[in-house]
Amino acid sequence: MEIPILSIVTFLPAAGALLFIFINRDKENLLRYLALIISIATFIASLFLYFNFNAQTPDPQFVEKAAWIGGGINYHIGIDGISLYLILLTTFLMPIVVLSSWTYIQKRVKEYLIFMFLLQTGIIGVFVSLNLFLFYVFWEAMLIPMYFLIGIWGGKRKIYATVKFVLFTMFGSLLMLVAIFYMYNLFYKATGTYSLNIFDYYRMILNPSVQVWLFLAFGLAFAIKVPMFPFHTWLPDAHVEAPTAGSVVLAAVLLKMGTYGFLRFAMPMFPDALKKFLPLLGILCVIGIIYGGLMALIQKDVKSLVAYSSVSHMGLIMLAIFALNMEGIQGGIYQMLNHGLSTGALFLCVGILYERSHTRMIKDFGGVSKQMPVFSAFFMICMLSSVGLPGLNGFVGEILCLFGVFKANKLLAILGVTTVILAAGYLLWMFQRVMQGPITNDKVRSFKDLNLREIIYLTPIVVMMFWMGIYPQTFLRKMDVSISNLLNQVNRKEAIFTEASKEGIKAPAFIMTEKVKETDTTAKEDKGSQ
Amino acid sequence: MNTIYTLLPLLIIVAASLLVMILEVFFKREDRSYLAYISLLFLIASAAACVKFWNKSYSYFDGSLSLNNIVLFIIIILIVATFLVVLISMKYLTLQNANYGEYYALLLFALSGMIIMVSSADLIVIFLGLEVLSLSSYALAGLRRQDEKSNEAAVKYFLLGSFASAFLVLGIAFLYGATQATAIPSVVEGLQSGSSASTLGLVGLGLIVVGFGFKVAVIPFHMWTPDVYQGAPTPITAFFSVGPKAVGFIVLLRIFAPYFQDALESKLMFGLLWFIAAITMIGGNLIALRQTNVKRILAYSSIAHAGYLMVAILARDTQSLVFYLTAYLFMNIGAFAAVISLGKRDHEYLELEDYKGIGFRYPWIGATFAVFLISLAGFPPTGGFLAKFYVFSAAVRQGLISLVIIGVLASLVSVFYYLRIIIYMYMKEPSYEVDIHIDNPSLFLALFLCLYGVLQLGIFPGNILLLIRQAVTSLPLF
Repeated sequence: MEIPILSIVTFLPAAGALLFIFINRDKENLLRYLALIISIATFIASLFLYFNFNAQTPDPQFVEKAAWIGGGINYHIGIDGISLYLILLTTFLMPIVVLSSWTYIQKRVKEYLIFMFLLQTGIIGVFVSLNLFLFYVFWEAMLIPMYFLIGIWGGKRKIYATVKFVLFTMFGSLLMLVAIFYMYNLFYKATGTYSLNIFDYYRMILNPSVQVWLFLAFGLAFAIKVPMFPFHTWLPDAHVEAPTAGSVVLAAVLLKMGTYGFLRFAMPMFPDALKKFLPLLGILCVIGIIYGGLMALIQKDVKSLVAYSSVSHMGLIMLAIFALNMEGIQGGIYQMLNHGLSTGALFLCVGILYERSHTRMIKDFGGVSKQMPVFSAFFMICMLSSVGLPGLNGFVGEILCLFGVFKANKLLAILGVTTVILAAGYLLWMFQRVMQGPITNDKVRSFKDLNLREIIYLTPIVVMMFWMGIYPQTFLRKMDVSISNLLNQVNRKEAIFTEASKEGIKAPAFIMTEKVKETDTTAKEDKGSQ
Repeated sequence: MNTIYTLLPLLIIVAASLLVMILEVFFKREDRSYLAYISLLFLIASAAACVKFWNKSYSYFDGSLSLNNIVLFIIIILIVATFLVVLISMKYLTLQNANYGEYYALLLFALSGMIIMVSSADLIVIFLGLEVLSLSSYALAGLRRQDEKSNEAAVKYFLLGSFASAFLVLGIAFLYGATQATAIPSVVEGLQSGSSASTLGLVGLGLIVVGFGFKVAVIPFHMWTPDVYQGAPTPITAFFSVGPKAVGFIVLLRIFAPYFQDALESKLMFGLLWFIAAITMIGGNLIALRQTNVKRILAYSSIAHAGYLMVAILARDTQSLVFYLTAYLFMNIGAFAAVISLGKRDHEYLELEDYKGIGFRYPWIGATFAVFLISLAGFPPTGGFLAKFYVFSAAVRQGLISLVIIGVLASLVSVFYYLRIIIYMYMKEPSYEVDIHIDNPSLFLALFLCLYGVLQLGIFPGNILLLIRQAVTSLPLF
């Protein structure tokens, strides 16, 4: 029997959470060490995915499939070149997150770790699901632990922030659920079998007028998650109020669920509608880029500055993905990873400052680098990576993104470049005010430099920043085939539908390409039991 | 095979209630918990009888009572509900000073009424069952005689309930006038043959909707619900929110599922029920936002859930309706069980303020309550999510997309107030000590069973779904 490695990566954290339930809450250090071990074990298991990944095929790999509820609802997971890296990013950050909250979280450590690990399973589950139902389950289930993380361990306005976060996200995803029902039903009418397998939906070509509505429903859910302007308002609140580790996970991985949703669902399933909305989406992205950057410039709180920088960066990522060419999507995905690393790292740095000063206001700092030279070096690298300095990861991603956008639309590319300029502005200015200059606040004099634990968890991130900046081929290579497959999918569908309508077929609601191959044996069994 | 044995599940329950009533005289007040054990035993026996009759179909009294798989399944649901209610009542009655022997007898009478209602397809017999159920319910609502709120609940329930019953009888009379029948299949057939009597028939159907709308608490017939739910003893509230609602919907399904098949004839009634479903989902959830008493929040939540169930009626989908009722049974009784667990002698903690910090003071109670609330809100991986999933998916299949959109948005609103309770439990610091009576094994058993039910139905519902599906396809309800 093969080892179900993907299931292990997905559910190991949840198993850990289950284990924590039965450990006495007073044994806090035991809990912390166990958490570290489990998160590292998960990371190692996910490395196995990376090394055994076959970059030549666009088909999903490490596929596991089992009958679950019936009626098309199966346990069906697998990864391709797009999801592989997002999983790695998640598992890579988890030990770091556990280490970073070692002393930051003092009360209710047990519950904290339980929710953290449930969250990880939810996130990985989203990236591996190949069944729409399974995907939706993870997508929604992930909200609950995040809700508790912000709500229990958050800052002053934690309850407002967490409720806003949940309601915003749910609003989008509930409409997406209705769209899923609609497609589920449509597929049943077309084939007589129930299926929620996303590859079956890839083969189903919908009438463009139907696609518009479905795209809006799916797109809204993902756009809120990304978040794209004007659905971004939950983000600064959630980021600022969340505990450091929560912000890191939120920025580094959770937002990527939105972009991933576009790549995996909204774009390949509804390509005609996508093309119809492209101008509007492009404009929203550009507004997001500029608005996020300008808002970041005027923030007084370091954390909300980083939060708004996320809005700006995510705007560029979406813009690149909507360029619909190889460079753009590749850059978009690469930039997703970069953003995960650099924004995650920036939040960690802000957390380190906060642990020492219990404030995040820029005006309370100044001259910190004199007291904390080691920290200053780390902070500067992370900051420059976010700015996009050549040699660091951000540069590669941004260049690819902008190449892609430039190919597709020159005006948008010119406007999109502002993200780099603005980022340099707000980040360097912030760095200058916080780290350099004379020490104005006496509190700063008592700051201690990084301890070993903090150095240990910042180092891997910085190493990755250099690696991804200097030798990006390690990462890009394995994406190529999956991305070109995605592009084919987006372009091919349109062609078929136009041909069909030319032949005078009165616009049907959908056309099936190839006969639904083995709509898989499970689906057929379902038909029997319906 | 028409033998008296077909009535076995029903007879066992009736026998149990009579026995409990007689034995009550002989037991001392402190020994009355034995009555609960006797009730539990008989409930198990009755459920066993149902299991024994599985896959056989019986009818009795010229078809006025008939048992088939789906009916048996629903009866088992009702028995499980009553079983859980007995479990959560045992300690509660002593603590809240309401330890009357007739309690269990009335509960079992109510159950027998419900069994009659679901196993009959004749409107007169259904009415009979309804009266047995209602009269016991009125008495149960007012069980805490010294408590003003409980008395208010009983009177309100009684007055409005009698009105509803009157409407129902009138409706049955109209339908009889229009179709010369009281058996539901013939009534529906008569209505669909579309004679001049159709106005009469429509009025009759309308009156029946009013009567049952009251029982299942849909807007605008919900006015009694919050007060009665708040005033009645909490285990009884749990019972009201599940049992009568379930049977009400089963009867509505029996009438309207075949009736709606003829889309043209039923347009008006369909529109009416559509409107009721929409307004119930929106209204129930919106009003719940303003409540600060946990029992009232749960009362309005149960109204909102009636709205979702109404969607299943409109979708004419027995399978999703029955599954919803099953999941709802566990999560709702579980939620009430958690509320009951936060009580001590002569006092229940029912205000949101009392719940501050409960999640960490009593981690197990807090966590289970949170699971029930999350399930009621419809988050995966709980039974509540799958229940909504099936109902809404069935509705989309019938083309009720706008209603489904209203439904999901209404459930978004519901997320707010369910999470609000969780906010109080986990995210606010307690301002005073909440001291609860923790020694309550039967209640914790019930909590555990409900938790198990909610998670089983949410994560591995395969067997239950298969059972329901087979029951529905082998012998449809209508």
